[in-house]
Amino acid sequence: MRSAWRTPPATRRRPLRALGELQDDVRRALLGGDGEGIERSIVADGLAPEARLAVYRHHVFTSLTEVLEAAYPVVCRLLDRRFFGYAADAFIRRHPPAGPCLFEYGGELAEFLADFPPCRRLAYLPDVARLEWAMNVAAHADDAVPLSPTTLMAIAPERMSELRLALEPSLGLVSSAWPIDRIWRANQAEAGAEPTVDLTPGGVRLEVRRRDDVVGFRALGEAEHALRRALLDGESLGAAAEAARAVDPALDLAGLLTALMREGAVTGFTLPPAPEAA
Amino acid sequence: MTNAPARGVGIGLRAPHVAEVLATPPVVTWLEVHAENYMSGGPSRRALERIRAEYPVALHGVGLSLGTAGTPDAGHLRRLRALVDAIEPALVSEHLSWSVSGGVYLNHLLPLPYTEESLAIVADHVTRAQEALGRPILLENPAAYLRFAHSTIAEPEFLADVVRRTGCGLLCDVNNVHVSAHNLGFDPVEYVDALPPAAIGEIHLAGHSANDADGRTILIDDHGARVAPEVWRLYAHAIWRFGPCPTLVEWDTDIPPLEVLLEEARHAERVAHAAGDAETTAARAR
Repeated sequence: MRSAWRTPPATRRRPLRALGELQDDVRRALLGGDGEGIERSIVADGLAPEARLAVYRHHVFTSLTEVLEAAYPVVCRLLDRRFFGYAADAFIRRHPPAGPCLFEYGGELAEFLADFPPCRRLAYLPDVARLEWAMNVAAHADDAVPLSPTTLMAIAPERMSELRLALEPSLGLVSSAWPIDRIWRANQAEAGAEPTVDLTPGGVRLEVRRRDDVVGFRALGEAEHALRRALLDGESLGAAAEAARAVDPALDLAGLLTALMREGAVTGFTLPPAPEAA
Repeated sequence: MTNAPARGVGIGLRAPHVAEVLATPPVVTWLEVHAENYMSGGPSRRALERIRAEYPVALHGVGLSLGTAGTPDAGHLRRLRALVDAIEPALVSEHLSWSVSGGVYLNHLLPLPYTEESLAIVADHVTRAQEALGRPILLENPAAYLRFAHSTIAEPEFLADVVRRTGCGLLCDVNNVHVSAHNLGFDPVEYVDALPPAAIGEIHLAGHSANDADGRTILIDDHGARVAPEVWRLYAHAIWRFGPCPTLVEWDTDIPPLEVLLEEARHAERVAHAAGDAETTAARAR
């Protein structure tokens, strides 16, 4: 039996705010630190509402900072863990996760660091972050079966330039004006050998891939990078070849394509429908 | 793939133990993983598929945000469905909480005000999830650090109402009951007694820590220690009340060697047996 003091459901007073509004207020209180809208809705029970909210806020920030530390171990080491935590705090406020799969969280860190005033002097830092993000993406990419070279042989030679190749899902490209490959290696736990990296040798073009379950990267030549960049961006084989030739007019296109196939880097292709016969 | 149900006491499988479980499969009846950690492709997903060939596996979701006002995330539900189809889990569970607001995922199981409005929203979202997955889910009681002044329904009553409206089951996390009871000031045994026994499909056990907040002790559900003595007692009471129930030991912070989790699982078996005997005796007396 319903207690007499309770208002019957039909005439029960509507809550002070609808659930969606309350959730907006809690989100703002957690991310922005402004609990003003919500504190009156929380029962104190011997502990201030703000202290209760702080338990949740602490977990949100520490757990997401751990996710970022795991995805960006070298950036974390370059910045020092405590300063990384400070940067992560600001990053999380500006770029909170958009979804619950946290292996997908943190891709905007490079852009964020490029604009983060305390890090401006570390010009190479955003590119190191791009490299680590490409490695994180590669680690979680889907498996795919390499395309057999014979499949492409069935295509009429005059239509080859219209082909669009699908590259293996873990493959990513990162280029930088800084030797980010050497910076990365010098900051591995087992490194120790190269405590300082000479920044003068200049830039690199890196290809990141997962092979046999291990994520690694290697440096590409300028023309090879241009070709793979264009293919990765969804350009046709003809357009990609043009992009590569713009870098090196004497390049061995057949050789570069054979290498791509041999490495198992091509996993599919599309060909636009043939034009109507006249 | 084994078709065995989840029975007895299992452990939560976390990334640091995956290689060891594959290399030397431990003696444990079932395993549970966080669904969202396996929605990618590649090595981790392949490892789960190999483990699934040997053990019953339960999928424990943290991302559906069943308590968020508005429409549930159809894309995420599709990803969960794809994982369910691939893994054929023994159990699928989610939480009575919310994590998403304004397109932001807050990575926490946040508390709901227990109102008629919340009840309608949660029941609707549980129904949609069950329809999308083509199977019933278990709903877990959250660990709470606050409650809302405009709540009108007690949490166990709220859970029982969701069960009635949706046909879902319940996952009773006895550590969460203990933690919330301490933080919000209610009696954990009365809470367990208020849950509908027939709906309980799984029990969770984990450790917690105690933090000082402005001179008052707040228990934190950090899954970073052995199960506390009071929680073992509450577990025995829960088994006595609910009957035999698949039980899971979770550990997520400062994860110890696998053997420590297995020890906790063996201890849970002993506690459950003793409580089960007590239940049989009590039934005979009735």
